Amino acid sequence: MLSILALLSIGVPILLSLENNATKQSVWDSFMMSTSFVFFLNTIFAVVIAAESVAGEFSWGTIKLLLIRPWSRSKILASKYIATLLFSILSTVLLAALSFFTSLLIYSTDTIPSMVPPGIGAGKYVFLSLVCSYVDLFITVAIAFMLSTVFRSGGLSIGLSLFIMFTKGIFTMIFNPEKYTWANYLLFNHMDLSRYLVTNQGPGGATIGFSISILAVYYLILMAVTWVVFKKRDVAA
Amino acid sequence: MQQEPVVRIEGVSKKISSKTLIHNLTLHIPAGQVFGFLGPNGAGKTTTIRMMVGLMSITEGDIFVGGHSVKNEFEQAIAQVGAIVENPEMYKFMSGYQNLLHYARMMPNISKERIHEVVELVGLQKRIHDKVRTYSLGMRQRLGVAQALLHRPKLLVLDEPTNGLDPQGIRELRDYLRHLSRIEGITVFVSSHLLSEMELMCDTVAVIQNGKLVDVRQLKGQGEESLAVPIAFDVDDLAQAARIVPGGKVEDNVFIVQTVREEIAEINARLVQAGVKVFGINKVTRSLEDQFLEMTGSESIE
Repeated sequence: MLSILALLSIGVPILLSLENNATKQSVWDSFMMSTSFVFFLNTIFAVVIAAESVAGEFSWGTIKLLLIRPWSRSKILASKYIATLLFSILSTVLLAALSFFTSLLIYSTDTIPSMVPPGIGAGKYVFLSLVCSYVDLFITVAIAFMLSTVFRSGGLSIGLSLFIMFTKGIFTMIFNPEKYTWANYLLFNHMDLSRYLVTNQGPGGATIGFSISILAVYYLILMAVTWVVFKKRDVAA
Repeated sequence: MQQEPVVRIEGVSKKISSKTLIHNLTLHIPAGQVFGFLGPNGAGKTTTIRMMVGLMSITEGDIFVGGHSVKNEFEQAIAQVGAIVENPEMYKFMSGYQNLLHYARMMPNISKERIHEVVELVGLQKRIHDKVRTYSLGMRQRLGVAQALLHRPKLLVLDEPTNGLDPQGIRELRDYLRHLSRIEGITVFVSSHLLSEMELMCDTVAVIQNGKLVDVRQLKGQGEESLAVPIAFDVDDLAQAARIVPGGKVEDNVFIVQTVREEIAEINARLVQAGVKVFGINKVTRSLEDQFLEMTGSESIE
């Protein structure tokens, strides 16, 4: 998985450079394009890992041997969750580093980047957008992890999480917080924090603090459900 | 037998929605024995074992392993248990050795030497570095036992260990279970519905049916010498034999007398003196199977 990500992170900037004298473009533009593109795959891979880590043990039957180790269920689940997060952090760092260095080799550092809004340092801006993408991934992974624990089915969990990942834009369109006040409290409307990099106004006039609180509350609920279900589950057949 | 039992199951019940799977089960498993847990399919054997190892919650009562409650001190209790619940499921994409290494990492203080030791104990040295997917069921069973023994548990729990094994595999398993309990002093708790197997393997057998304990019975080491047991004499003239030895009865073409060991020869001498031909003398043993069927009857599953 990591090697596919690495290959793409190197490949996308190279492919972009095949465009007519694209090498005059800014390093940052290439970096932004490459990371935002490869990040889809990064999220998908993290979701797959999260979904399989618990559901896989159930479908292989190894959960029975795992749960009779001298560790409490909470600790076992926590270690699985931490392992998933470590993978997602590693893959994100890998993708960012490879995209950046490949872009640096090909593109110009003198050109003014067209994708970075004025009034903010290019490096800071791309770094913050990467952090925002990671927050999005983080929440999606939490959803996948919960679905995996609750349904014990990797396929269902991957499918549902990816459905949420790709349709949250449509959700925002249908349940527009501008039209419905209750939609302000929907998770999907707050998963993309990158808009706060250019404006102070979030969907429905929300502030960044509000969006982060919504994310935190949903995250805690997701984790609580995961933990309670895993601790209470009777492992049969 | 004054020793503290390794496992104390105290008034355990298990309810799933309105169904009661286990009714107020109390059972003590003494140390150092091979203890059989016998019952027809659906009697609650596996459910009880799952509760013992914490895979299922206990609705009422509690189970203590080495004095630690499975409910409240799970980590201490389970540290003394090695188990295989149903089939020995391993990570098929890893080798046997990698699987053991993986489980060893999850337990404190297990050296590489210990891994080699258990591999040798179950006789898997030659294939341990092959992928588990290439293993036969018998080999996976061995790997399962190896996994369960890694941390030198006091108690080994095996759920239906002979399922799917061929006669040779069953025999090997029986031999090393006996070895474990004799040499290493591990208490072994085996469940099965195969009566003849249990008879050969176990010191004590507990019989469970419909979630209730029916009977606990010692299979070995009774003072048999002084007990009157039924003895069957295979003779040519049943009627005459019955006249010579009072108190006997004729059954299925043999003459049966309830007697102690010392008197068997005497009865034989009397029969021979009276001109009755004796072709054979046998102890009539009711096999575990007969006893089991007697106890559980043909009661249907609730």
